[in-house]
Amino acid sequence: MRRIAIAERPDWRARAAECGFDFHTINGAPYWDESAYYAFTLREIEEDLEAPTEELHAMALDLVGEIVASEQRMRQLAIPEPFWDWIAQSWRDRQPHLYGRMDFGYDGTGPAKLYELNYDTPTALFEAAFFQWQWLEQQQMRGQLPTGSDQYNSIYESLVEAFGTIATRIARPLRFAAVRGSAEDQGTVAYLRECALQAGVDCDTLAIEDIGLSEDGRFTDLDDQVIGSLFKLYPLEDMFREAFGAKLPGSGLQLIEPAWKAVLSNKGILPLLWEKYRNHPNLLPAEFDNGGELPPGWVRKPIYSREGANIAMHLPDGQHVNSSGPYGDGPWIRQGYHALPRFDGRYVVIGSWVVGDRACGMGIREDDSPITRDSACFVPHAILEEGRGVLMA
Amino acid sequence: MKRSRTAALLLMSTVPLLLTACDSDEQAREGLYTSVDACVAQTNDRSTCEQAFDKAKKDSAETAPRFTSREQCEASYGAEQCAERNEGSHSFFGPLMTGFFLSQMMRGSSPMTGFTSGPAFRDNGGGWQRPATDAGGVYRSTGGTTAMVPVTATPNRAVTVSRSGFGASSGARGAGG
Repeated sequence: MRRIAIAERPDWRARAAECGFDFHTINGAPYWDESAYYAFTLREIEEDLEAPTEELHAMALDLVGEIVASEQRMRQLAIPEPFWDWIAQSWRDRQPHLYGRMDFGYDGTGPAKLYELNYDTPTALFEAAFFQWQWLEQQQMRGQLPTGSDQYNSIYESLVEAFGTIATRIARPLRFAAVRGSAEDQGTVAYLRECALQAGVDCDTLAIEDIGLSEDGRFTDLDDQVIGSLFKLYPLEDMFREAFGAKLPGSGLQLIEPAWKAVLSNKGILPLLWEKYRNHPNLLPAEFDNGGELPPGWVRKPIYSREGANIAMHLPDGQHVNSSGPYGDGPWIRQGYHALPRFDGRYVVIGSWVVGDRACGMGIREDDSPITRDSACFVPHAILEEGRGVLMA
Repeated sequence: MKRSRTAALLLMSTVPLLLTACDSDEQAREGLYTSVDACVAQTNDRSTCEQAFDKAKKDSAETAPRFTSREQCEASYGAEQCAERNEGSHSFFGPLMTGFFLSQMMRGSSPMTGFTSGPAFRDNGGGWQRPATDAGGVYRSTGGTTAMVPVTATPNRAVTVSRSGFGASSGARGAGG
């Protein structure tokens, strides 16, 4: 794994505009950055990332059944009691799931370490599945990348296949919802809708704010149609405490991601994984936070948080690094400190995609801070043949 | 190859697509047909209808519910509606395919890509069912048998009494992560 400078495609902004990728620059700061890329060997991809992703995914799914059946576990994960039965039922029904992203610390040596599972509302999907793919094809055509370069990225094919497979189990009509004002989230659901349509599954989008409620407690779209299935790019734990939240269990609404994902998108899954698979090479030590002082070499994270918010790190050298955010009221977990790898002074996190149950691709984000925030840039990657890669560097 | 062979964008792309560019009414057409002719009447596309029928027919042997006796099968699917099938040395009874699904992405009245299709069965009460496989391809097998799900065609409507009950917690950068 190496970071290699490369000439940008001169027309990449026009290419982005063509496909509706309008969040390549966010609030004036670059988000898509193709001035460099990461080069991997096929062995690094297959042995160090793909195989561990599938294994960890299977391990996590194997825990769901016992968690949803345990009041103690559900309490530990701070899932509100009125939703317990509904969540457990969604698991008994094996309501279909679509996708998730694992974030890894990995630098090409030693095992990738799992920081967290983004199993409810993962983003950075379109840029990984499509724009990064197009970058590889075009940089090969321009001669900037050797012919025969590859990429760990069958996300698109896997998404279309997944929608085709679960088509019969998705109650209709299917609606995709995201926050109205977020270009990034709207781009993500537009892409998912595209993949569903390509699989022959009819669907439409609406803003999460526009979802309606009928007198008898069913959820409706803007045409007063009762929504059969709702893909929501919106944290389930936020829905729980919002005005309509209490209506979810009795509404008959099928969610994608399904309600049982509440136990996997929760950072409480990390100590539960560690408890069951202690010393697994891809896991970091993790425990529920007892509120005591954070010893050196540990990181405190809220059970519910997004985009690196409210994280407290006590580095092995005694230094403290904290991030602010809206998730200040706990509960929390602790995770063993594992420094984000640095390449050319940039901190790197690997987002490893799972579609259905298949590990199928990767997106890399870089930040200038040791906690990956929403200011991180997306940097593409390529798989180079070993000999060639050395020549390129 | 570790990447998708294509990564087609049919809907998000603003690059004109042949003659259909002015018609941006994309949707998926999902139909249940009792025969190839019924399918052609609706879609005007005999070749696709025949391919969809053939594929559904092939899948039906695998995904139809299985019974140990003809009587059991006919109790659910009606007289003369079941056939004996063999898998290796194992023999069982399953309902005959009585229809098939065809779904395609459409722009206006033109199909955009390939299609998906599958068999459908009519039970004793006249209700339609289709197999809901939960495994295969990107999904790992859960070891269960194929479940049959009823087909409901007409969406329900309900008078909306309030909106904006979701979305209050989101920040400016959206809700995903």
